[in-house]
Amino acid sequence: MKRSQFIAALLALPLTLLMSCEKSSAPGGADHPKATKKLTIAFLPKSKGNSYFIACEKGAREAVQELGAELLFDGPTNTDPAKQNEIVENWMTLGVDVIAVACENREGIAGPLKRAQEKGIKIVTFDSDTTPDARSFFVNQATPQGIGEALMDEAARLCAEEGEFAIITATLTAANMNEWRKIIEARLAEKYPKMKLLDTKPCDDQKDKAQAETTNLISANPNLKCIMAICSPAVPGAAEAVKQAGKAGIVKVVGLGLPSENRAYLKDGVTQSVILWRVADLGYLTIQAAHAVGTGALDVGSKSIHAGKLGEIQIDGTSIILGKPFIFTKDNVDQFDF
Amino acid sequence: MNASPAPTKRHWLRHETLLLLVLFAETTYFFYFARNFGTADNIRNIVRHSAEMGLLALAMMPVILTGGIDLSVGSLMGLCAVIFGVLTHDWHWSTLQAVAATLVAGMLAGGFNAALIAFLRLPPLIVTLGTFSLYRGLAEATTQGTKIYRSFDSDFLNLGDQHFFALPIQAWIFAFGALFFWVLVHRTTLGRSFRAIGFSPEGALYAGIPVGHRTALPYMLAGLTAAIAALLFTARLHQARADAGTGYELAAITAVVLGGTSIFGGIGSVHGTLIGIAAIAVLNNGIARVPGVLKAGVGGELASMLTGALLLIALAAPILTRFITRRRAT
Repeated sequence: MKRSQFIAALLALPLTLLMSCEKSSAPGGADHPKATKKLTIAFLPKSKGNSYFIACEKGAREAVQELGAELLFDGPTNTDPAKQNEIVENWMTLGVDVIAVACENREGIAGPLKRAQEKGIKIVTFDSDTTPDARSFFVNQATPQGIGEALMDEAARLCAEEGEFAIITATLTAANMNEWRKIIEARLAEKYPKMKLLDTKPCDDQKDKAQAETTNLISANPNLKCIMAICSPAVPGAAEAVKQAGKAGIVKVVGLGLPSENRAYLKDGVTQSVILWRVADLGYLTIQAAHAVGTGALDVGSKSIHAGKLGEIQIDGTSIILGKPFIFTKDNVDQFDF
Repeated sequence: MNASPAPTKRHWLRHETLLLLVLFAETTYFFYFARNFGTADNIRNIVRHSAEMGLLALAMMPVILTGGIDLSVGSLMGLCAVIFGVLTHDWHWSTLQAVAATLVAGMLAGGFNAALIAFLRLPPLIVTLGTFSLYRGLAEATTQGTKIYRSFDSDFLNLGDQHFFALPIQAWIFAFGALFFWVLVHRTTLGRSFRAIGFSPEGALYAGIPVGHRTALPYMLAGLTAAIAALLFTARLHQARADAGTGYELAAITAVVLGGTSIFGGIGSVHGTLIGIAAIAVLNNGIARVPGVLKAGVGGELASMLTGALLLIALAAPILTRFITRRRAT
């Protein structure tokens, strides 16, 4: 008897669930978001645990609160393009209005994004773009022009526009870095005639190798005044080499990287400037753009967007540009946590 | 009612039946609570996203039935994806040739496991732990960990995106795989010998079963299946990468054990495995759609937690029911 009761209870479980949720489902879960006016924006980072994207999320949440939209934030735990595709495909059937995504796999995610567009979902990309036909707008954190010029100007400022410097890059074939180098060299030739670029060394995106290369550069060039590290592992690598050579403050370090990875060196006065954009603002602007696209306020051909606290932001074709890079120094680095 | 004959009762308390109830409860819950769970598009999603794991689980089932285990299938997926990428991109083979060669490579890699386990009599756990690292290492070395093969034939990519009679192509491949393994395990002497070997290898030997050959076969099939999964994964993702299938071996083993196959071999069914696959696939998809979970964006984390809990409950359940039965008997 007891056993049959057990079985009956097991059988009855789904039925009771079924009945209990019939009552609660109307106001709660199953209603379609499009029936309400609130826009649902889904925000997909490359990976959830990365402090860079956590900072993005902070800005995104701020914007969502201002705009009164619903935010769905999810992503792979580690960078995983397969998981990104799956999340997009699941959001498609969830009935979201806009998807904002930082693409890990430029071509691979284009398929799901295009299918989402066919269903009337608007797509905005940020940080890393997909193919242009798979999204309405790309929120671009910085142009190569902006990055290259900021690096060169900052190096020149640190050297008082005079002296020898060297560049540490990731590889001599990395497309984005080669573009920055071209801009750096053009800026050098145009504005800083008293400065001289001694050498450009690759570090294969490895901190240890950046450190070794910097040590070699310092010992071979006694007049070296500045190291410019343009890939993120190279910034702390170069700083460590300068520190160990006892040349802190004599050989300046400027680089492109995360403030959190360079905080200690900035505080010790080994690294003078770290250049990056305000990552939280990137998330904020992305949501502003996503919301504007979702409501129809922003469409292809628009020349600018009003982005809340960021004011009027320029649009270049289909890319919305966050603006000038931000310079992190020992004085402001503590205000940021990415 | 309490006088009904024992077999009927045992039928009710069979693992597969209980698991089917869990699946039913889960589905019902998500159907009413999770946002847009029961839509046709979402059901297609579930199939597309879990076809590779499901195929690996189907192939894992006979391996575990013989008392073995194959930890290398996920890594082999990565290796097969890379082989396919190299053949199509660097060696400029036609897609069809590359597909055939990848399948052969998968079978050979499975055969390597089989040779070490069945003929050198090395323990399956250690052998496949070795090839788990070996195959992933080979894949990563070939691509230096960074190279990703993109742009494939559109006919090939259709495997990952297109539908055939309203169902994703993966659904048909999976259905074929399920039928194949069901017939193999439940309707052939081969399948019976897998069970016999898992139950007692010495007994099987004395019964005249060629234990070596029969132990080797499931590993070769697992290798072949890993290659198929790698191709489907590549087609779905539009890229071949060395990290394809990372962790899939554990998901597959979970589905098989959840489905009632004994990890010590000898006991289990393919339909149990199918229910196990479905229970995990539905959980993965549905949990992320429950409003509270959706808002917090913790679907993936919660799904893996609940899958683990479900597995432990499923393992404890037979012991618990036996306990209840015994107490009633006294």
